[in-house]
Amino acid sequence: MRLRTWIAAAALAAIGWAEAAWSQGMTDVGTPRKETLVVDILTGRVGNPRRMNPYLEGNALVQGLHQLGYSILWEIDTVKGTQYPALAATLPEALDDSFTKWRFKVRKGLAWSDGAPFSSADVVFTARMALDNPKLPYHRFIVNNIKDIRATDDETVELETVNPLPKLTYSFGAVIFGNSFRVVPKHIWEKVDPLTFENYPPVTIGPYKLKDSDPNGFWFLWEKRDDWQRTDVGQLVGEPKPKYVLFRSYGPEEKRVIAMAQNEIDILTDITPEALEILRLRNPKVKAWYDAFPWANLDDPCQRGISFNATTAPYDKWEVRWALALATKIDDVSIATFSGMLRASPIHVPPISILMKSYHEPMTAWLKGFALPDGYKPFDPDYALRMGKRLAAERIEGLPKDEAGLRQLFGVGWWKHDPAKARQLLESVGFKKNGNAWLLPDGTPWKMTINAPADFEIQSQRLAFAVANEWKKFGIDVNVQQQQGGVFATEYATGNFQAGSYWNQNCAIGPDIWVRLEWWHERYVSPNGQPASFNRERYKNPEVSRIIEQMARLPVTDPKNVEQGTALLQELVKGMPVIPMFGTSKFVPVNTTYWKNYPSASNYYEGPWWWWSNFKYIVARLEPAQ
Amino acid sequence: MARHARFLIGRLAGYVAVVLVGITFIFIIPRLLPVNPVEAMLGRMMSQGAYMQEDQVKALREALSDAFGLNGTLLEQYLGFLRRTLLSQDFGPSLAMYPTPVKELIGQALPWTFGLLLASVLIAWVVGNALGLIIGTMPDSRTSRMLEAVAIIFYPIPYFILALVLSILFSYVWKVFPLTTTVRGAPWSWELVWSIVYHSFLPAVSIIAVTFGWWMLSMRALSSTLMDEDFVVYARLKGLARSRVLLRYVLPNAMLPQVTFLALQLGLMFNGSIIAEIVFSYPGVGSLIYTAILQGDYNLLMGTVSLSIVAVATATLLVDLLYPLLDPRIRHR
Repeated sequence: MRLRTWIAAAALAAIGWAEAAWSQGMTDVGTPRKETLVVDILTGRVGNPRRMNPYLEGNALVQGLHQLGYSILWEIDTVKGTQYPALAATLPEALDDSFTKWRFKVRKGLAWSDGAPFSSADVVFTARMALDNPKLPYHRFIVNNIKDIRATDDETVELETVNPLPKLTYSFGAVIFGNSFRVVPKHIWEKVDPLTFENYPPVTIGPYKLKDSDPNGFWFLWEKRDDWQRTDVGQLVGEPKPKYVLFRSYGPEEKRVIAMAQNEIDILTDITPEALEILRLRNPKVKAWYDAFPWANLDDPCQRGISFNATTAPYDKWEVRWALALATKIDDVSIATFSGMLRASPIHVPPISILMKSYHEPMTAWLKGFALPDGYKPFDPDYALRMGKRLAAERIEGLPKDEAGLRQLFGVGWWKHDPAKARQLLESVGFKKNGNAWLLPDGTPWKMTINAPADFEIQSQRLAFAVANEWKKFGIDVNVQQQQGGVFATEYATGNFQAGSYWNQNCAIGPDIWVRLEWWHERYVSPNGQPASFNRERYKNPEVSRIIEQMARLPVTDPKNVEQGTALLQELVKGMPVIPMFGTSKFVPVNTTYWKNYPSASNYYEGPWWWWSNFKYIVARLEPAQ
Repeated sequence: MARHARFLIGRLAGYVAVVLVGITFIFIIPRLLPVNPVEAMLGRMMSQGAYMQEDQVKALREALSDAFGLNGTLLEQYLGFLRRTLLSQDFGPSLAMYPTPVKELIGQALPWTFGLLLASVLIAWVVGNALGLIIGTMPDSRTSRMLEAVAIIFYPIPYFILALVLSILFSYVWKVFPLTTTVRGAPWSWELVWSIVYHSFLPAVSIIAVTFGWWMLSMRALSSTLMDEDFVVYARLKGLARSRVLLRYVLPNAMLPQVTFLALQLGLMFNGSIIAEIVFSYPGVGSLIYTAILQGDYNLLMGTVSLSIVAVATATLLVDLLYPLLDPRIRHR
């Protein structure tokens, strides 16, 4: 009896001690919870937490180094889709008409985290370090772009490019995610070998400096600098309120959801809609991008659809690709993928707010008038209205009441579901229908495989199954092949695929859509079997290539970019090398227990891209909630 | 003497053959799969969205092909692989955690797995065998029946369910233990030791709870059978003390299969207890294997599986060599 009493007492004491420790309001790394912003690490645990050299490719950077530690010369305004000076004080000024000579100033009064002043010499040193080290992976890029670079005084940088480079700020500033040109402190790096330097702890320029990290790579603790005023964030936004930012990995989605449900984490990078539903029910302090349907942020700069290998029969024919588009009932695909929480896109750039204004909406008249060579007009402008009606019938709350609101939410429209026209197109190139099954022109059954990611990029995974279902109903023997990341990427690069739910090609964030869409140039096409760097659909279209070359000659701010971009998108619609379907819906919940003023649909000052370089500007706008 | 040498050489030759064949399979299997680690790596980098030019991608492709040991003919790659793995245990860089070498990752993870599993396997083994011996020799007592019932309840529970239930109960419902492993403290400090014990407690309990039942039930079966053997009956009739009968006559004979299985368990330990490590975010070899499978990281998979092959083969060799010392019948064969 006495033994049992002792055991019970010890157990209660242990539980009491542990609960007391939690209730003291400290994080498990010993910082006050109220002063700590806890953020999910996008890529999970970091293999070697001490490798923080950004110039050795592959080193993990999204543990805070990229988002908080370094700043970029020109940052992206994710709301307007335009760039603004961050470490630089000005946008670059072209010194000649051929865009080969440039000048810009760097911001005054900045300092590195060890107190040393920041100057133009740091920018020049960083570029020269890459120029002088052929073994650095970044060397090839810089040597192809920069002929000469010099500092004319502490604030001014002048550079000469190898070829005309009107889009200089794309090469050395953030567009999507960030940029590989991260300025490093000359006084540290000039004494080390950049090929072997670990850079731990790093001397950084952002408003936070690394305080501590887990030797096992599960967490990284950043502390606000005392001299935060001497950073670009301090000058542009003001004092960041969180004293600490803790980047940490909780492992699989279930653990991440539990952590947010019990207020251990403030920001999650990306979860499934089902996980968000659970979180909202378990913790009222958890907020999604929208307070109601569709919950998700719809402004991710890459869109989803089905890609084809344009050199593999029968997908080398536009008639086949167009027939597949017309055999797709996009309403059902949307419901099957994310229960309708998707914005459709009929063109090859994502339907994000900025691009809807620059392209989707202005192109609607052209889309309505667009006809296939036989005069058939495939555009269906009523997708949004049908979705609104269908979801309202399912008692979904929070849907817009008016037509304009519905079009804003679900997109400007998509392509008609017209199996009869699809049949006509296929028969025009020799296909035959045998009962309900399609035969190829050579008389063999049409069998098709769609590559899909296995248990990652859930939207693309589900989309592949939903589309396969549509095409099966149309009479094609479709198989979805789920692949883990390595196989999925290898088959895409080497052209060993017929169709796949890939997404890399159709990304854009601002009115100048050249950055990713230039990948459609035919010079990037490789034979099947050989890896292609870009244009992995292997789509050759001389007119597309010509427009891309014209766009390359335009400066970033030239209004003709939109005109040329529109022409490019029109050509892509005609050829349909990818069937564009939906923008990416990102479920990126935040916890408002300790912090507030996160960006959201009703407070849209930045996109919720916690893993991008502009995250530091979001942190600076957060306010304590308690 | 010659007989001993023959025995030793035979066992050592078998050991070398097992390791070589195993490692050759490890080299061949990934090359039959439709994955190119370089393209996988590039795909991952490019999907993050940073701006890249074609020359930059080409330069990366060349550098990565070299880093992953994919240059040269298949035979050259195989010979290089054998030389690197057998002489310097170099499996190249991890794909999932590039460019960290696999060797470094395993080096970081091994002490965690070793500490957790050695402690839990040994505790489960000692407790299970001790209780099994007691209930095997006193099958009709109330305590025996109760212990047997406990073992029968825990033994068939799927491992991942128990781990999840423990995690949800003690990390979510009652926040007694942490969700993940966050070890803190200066090297060789009490704070560090306490932190490790605290964070390893739930994973260890989940392993012990599931495995001790098997040890207990198997020891009960062995000892109850032995209790009816002539030599034990004779010892009891001779009037020897019960403890002496158990410890000198029953236990040594019941222990042989238990020792064999323990050695194999310890060999398999290098695989980590994958589920425990995943559920509790424990930084051991099991977590590495999970990451390697999930992300198609073949270098990491080759490294961890090679370690497992060597560990199991070594454990088997040790058992083979130790058996004659434990069992005189083998010594005289």
